[in-house]
Amino acid sequence: MTKKDQKNFAMKKYLFNHAPAYLAGILLLLLVDVTNLYIPQFTAEIIDGLSTDGGFASGDVTRVVLKILLCGLLIMAGRFGWRYFILGSSRKIQYEIRGDMFSHLESLSARFYNAHKTGDLMAHFTNDLNAIREATGWAVITVFDGVIMTVMVLVKMILYVDFNLTLLAFVPMILIAFGCYLYGKIAEVRMEAKQNAFSTLSDKAQESMAGIRVIKSFVQEKPDFESFEKTSEDCMEKNLNVVKLRILFIPLLELVIGISMMLSLLFGGRMVLNSTITIGQYVAFNSYIGMLVWPMIAVGDCINTFSQAYASYVRIKKIFDESPDIVDDEADDTFGSVKGDITFKDLTFRYPDGDTPVLKNINLHIAQGEMLGILGRTGSGKSSLSDLLLRVFDCPKGSLMVDGTPIDEIPLYVLHRDVAYVPQDNFLFSDTLEENIAFGLEEKVSDHPELKELVVKAAKAACIDENINTFPDKYQTIVGERGVTLSGGQKQRSSIARALLKDAPILILDDSLSAVDTDTEEQILANILDIRKNKTTIVIAHRISTLSKADHVAVLNDGEITEYGTHDELVKLGGFYANIFEKQQLEKELSAL
Amino acid sequence: MSNINDDKTESSFNGSALLRLLTYTKPHLHWFGLSLILVMILTLTELTRPILIGDAINLFKDHGDPAELTSTVLKYGAVLVIGVICDLTQGWILQKTGQKIILHIRKEIYLHIQSLSSRFFDLTPVGKLVTRVTNDVDALEEMYSGILVKLFRNIVYIIGLATIMLLLDLKLALFSFVLLPFVVLLTWLLRYFSRKAFRVSRTRLTDLNTFLSENISGMKIIQIFGRENRKYEEFDDKSKKFLNASLNEVMVYATFRPLIYISSILSLMIVLKLGGEEVLHSVIDVGTLYIFAQYIQSFFDPIQELAEHFATLQSSLASAEKIFTILDEEAKIPEKENPVEISHLKGKIEFSHVWFAYDDENYVLRDVSFVIEPGQKVAFVGATGAGKTSILNLIGRYYDIQQGNIYIDDIDIRDLKKSQLRSFIGQMQQDVLIFEGTIKSNIRLYDDYITDEEVIAAARHVNASHFIEKLPHGYDEPVSERGSTFSTGEKQLLSFARTLAHDPGILVLDEATANIDTETEIMIQDALEKLMKNRTTIMVAHRLSTIQHADCIMVMHKGKIRESGTHQELLTKDGIYKRLYELQIHQQIG
Repeated sequence: MTKKDQKNFAMKKYLFNHAPAYLAGILLLLLVDVTNLYIPQFTAEIIDGLSTDGGFASGDVTRVVLKILLCGLLIMAGRFGWRYFILGSSRKIQYEIRGDMFSHLESLSARFYNAHKTGDLMAHFTNDLNAIREATGWAVITVFDGVIMTVMVLVKMILYVDFNLTLLAFVPMILIAFGCYLYGKIAEVRMEAKQNAFSTLSDKAQESMAGIRVIKSFVQEKPDFESFEKTSEDCMEKNLNVVKLRILFIPLLELVIGISMMLSLLFGGRMVLNSTITIGQYVAFNSYIGMLVWPMIAVGDCINTFSQAYASYVRIKKIFDESPDIVDDEADDTFGSVKGDITFKDLTFRYPDGDTPVLKNINLHIAQGEMLGILGRTGSGKSSLSDLLLRVFDCPKGSLMVDGTPIDEIPLYVLHRDVAYVPQDNFLFSDTLEENIAFGLEEKVSDHPELKELVVKAAKAACIDENINTFPDKYQTIVGERGVTLSGGQKQRSSIARALLKDAPILILDDSLSAVDTDTEEQILANILDIRKNKTTIVIAHRISTLSKADHVAVLNDGEITEYGTHDELVKLGGFYANIFEKQQLEKELSAL
Repeated sequence: MSNINDDKTESSFNGSALLRLLTYTKPHLHWFGLSLILVMILTLTELTRPILIGDAINLFKDHGDPAELTSTVLKYGAVLVIGVICDLTQGWILQKTGQKIILHIRKEIYLHIQSLSSRFFDLTPVGKLVTRVTNDVDALEEMYSGILVKLFRNIVYIIGLATIMLLLDLKLALFSFVLLPFVVLLTWLLRYFSRKAFRVSRTRLTDLNTFLSENISGMKIIQIFGRENRKYEEFDDKSKKFLNASLNEVMVYATFRPLIYISSILSLMIVLKLGGEEVLHSVIDVGTLYIFAQYIQSFFDPIQELAEHFATLQSSLASAEKIFTILDEEAKIPEKENPVEISHLKGKIEFSHVWFAYDDENYVLRDVSFVIEPGQKVAFVGATGAGKTSILNLIGRYYDIQQGNIYIDDIDIRDLKKSQLRSFIGQMQQDVLIFEGTIKSNIRLYDDYITDEEVIAAARHVNASHFIEKLPHGYDEPVSERGSTFSTGEKQLLSFARTLAHDPGILVLDEATANIDTETEIMIQDALEKLMKNRTTIMVAHRLSTIQHADCIMVMHKGKIRESGTHQELLTKDGIYKRLYELQIHQQIG
């Protein structure tokens, strides 16, 4: 499903898939509109029958009334149908685009996510998809309904009543369509001004609430309030500008319709008096004018809906045009599995958008089964090393080999299967703890209860099993959004358990023990050393107590390896590592006081 | 989950919240009165228009005078214009009044939030407060500028319609109304089912969006663990659930709207059939039949609108309750009724057996006592969580203590006016907050009594001018928190300038721990020295150079003052201070 070939995003495709439903919907619209025209005609028939002396008997009235019922029933069924077909399709299209977009996002790499904020991407799923839904749903109905109705009502007015009278009454109605279009245009500008004013207000409130302590300490509550007052007043001003338009809308609409009615009364009335048309025809004519109102509004409105949807379409298309850059192009499909021998050879790496290299001339060999510690300041390039090993980013060909094979020749699924990773930020999903720990497995635990044993084993190794058992729901505890209900240490350990469960040939711990206390840390490390005999482990850490367990430690400074050796060697060396070691010794003493 | 909460807020119609909302209309009652009158006139014109057409039809039937037709047309035109004018006027009055009330509420809640204690801000996320001030207040707008009057208008309209019909022909009117209970029932059912469907689909949508935003943020983990397929399936499951819920919504409307439509047709049939009979028996004339045919169809929209108004009203009330909860929050730092005024601050600070806990339980200060004489410089040192920062927050009375006393110039700070107390104190926090505006406005911080010259003089005095004057627009350079590219050191200097410009008698400094380059470091030291001159200074210091400036160093450990003295005295003691000192040296190398 995921590694589909590059998708071409085209509205046509989605619309085409639902063509039969749209066709059915539009036909039903047509049916409703045609039928709708008969009701005024039948009403007119009754009025005429009753106005001419001796024209209608009681039975005649019943006959026509039943015809009206028939029309009503047809219309009822038709209205149900077009809602079902067209609105239903629009929602299905929304669903399809959403799925395709998500699957496309899954194929994009860190480079893309660094350049696009989650909030912006979410906006495509919400605002933009909604705009498209509106355009493929209501707007389709409106456009067809509007056009069909207008044409038919006009034809009916001309044929059934009178050409000149129709012309006379219709001219003011055109104003409505034009007015609505104009209204939409002006409203858009004013709405934008209103929204801007509102976000200025939000920003202002945000800033003041966040800075309330500074404001209070400088006793500036009053001026701060005054500035808020000004922003609020501006917001009101902009609101009123929008409101002004809205207030005008209905009365002006009424006025135009009223004028049409007046014209038809004045001239139509004369015609009735001259016996050119009947009273019934006149009554029907009035109903027809009423029927023109909605299509006229619709036409003006739709132009705006479509233009908004088009803008959204362009934005979404841009996402689809992004092509994945971490790909399996050069993968050797016969590659079985990773053993765990890692070599960095003259590796110099810069991020795709960066100028300066974050790793410079790295030469490092990690033998299979070894545990390597990495120490360095923030920004020294530690995490970049793990990014490269996980192929979050690609490095120059041949500068990183796993088991002697350039890393890009190992299929991605093999690499991701055989390298376990504990990230710095301990990202957990809103799911049960059990599923979170079993995240690296192919199957969900809920479907395969026999996997529970593995989960508990991993949790025990990560020293989180005891904690979990104190939760009321134990392993079924749902982790809040981004793991908020767990403490930092609990998240960290869950995330360690998740990686340990994979029992992979290579394990990377990226500063993953920082939030657990030293005793627990000792325990976890002992467990890891025990479980991971003959497997490669890379530990990025700040605590010497962690690093001292490693076979070798590399000190990274500004992208370069400045110190390398065993714990004892490095302490003797008296450099960065030794300094940190002493500092942490002191801290220990201090906290013991 | 969230939908349960929504259930609660939506189903409980809170009358007291409504009453409280209505009290805000009090100053504008005359405007509301006027617009109600206008609405009545408007309704009257709307009801008259079909009658005029009906008259014309009768005229046609009797082959009347064309001149009479012209006069009917003119009447029609006049009624139309009056209606339009009334509609425009009442709309404008209401909207303007509504907006004014909204502005009033917004200002009220903002002022109230400003007055709340630091404890409140510790416990309440900023985002929540912002929502109260912005979105929740906006949700009330509809209620004042629309719903109240529309409710009235529709009720007047329905009553007017019914009255005229009953007056025209009692029997026909009663028969026409036969279907109305059915319409009301349908409308109610539609509301019920659509709300239910909406709630389900909204919950599903929230689920979906939560999932999306979480998984977009966690995409790296998904890819590293190779879990794209499984995540897609989970996504598709949620996406499909939302699709089904939203199709369900479509179905509810697709079912009920046509049903309501058909009942309007049935009503028309009843009117035409029974009315037709009456015309045949000459009980009524054709014109009246026309009026009935028009009126009966006019019943349907107002009934459905009424249902919508009630829905909006309920959601406004939900927002109102949230707003009132904040408004009912009491300021926890009470102001003394007749506060003591200090005319000239000397700058003595005394803590006497102070016990303090943020939450009444876990004491961060335990029996802390010390005296700082005017002009003295005291530094507090200690590990994180030792209680140093709390001491700084207590002097300006951002929190009240549980036991003991704090004195400024021998007056208990609870006897002082908060604003006066705080104006004595120049409080400099660890994180320097940049406000949207210019450098100048950030130094002046709203206080317009500070002249441009004073701003510049302050900046120059504390060495902030070095980087400010290098900016393209100097002191008028636009800055904001998000867009700021200042280093920690530069921000520190800016806050020094800010403090100096306000010229406080007591200096409270919470020094930033971040690394600062040597050059800036020297400038900060120099500036600090100038700032502290002739001011009582109380600071939490991390940098050795700052600590050494102090006349006295107090070593805090677990909420207590464990050691005090000068740098040299403390070093010879071989206690906590000495360890801290050694640690510091290592930190500076590392």
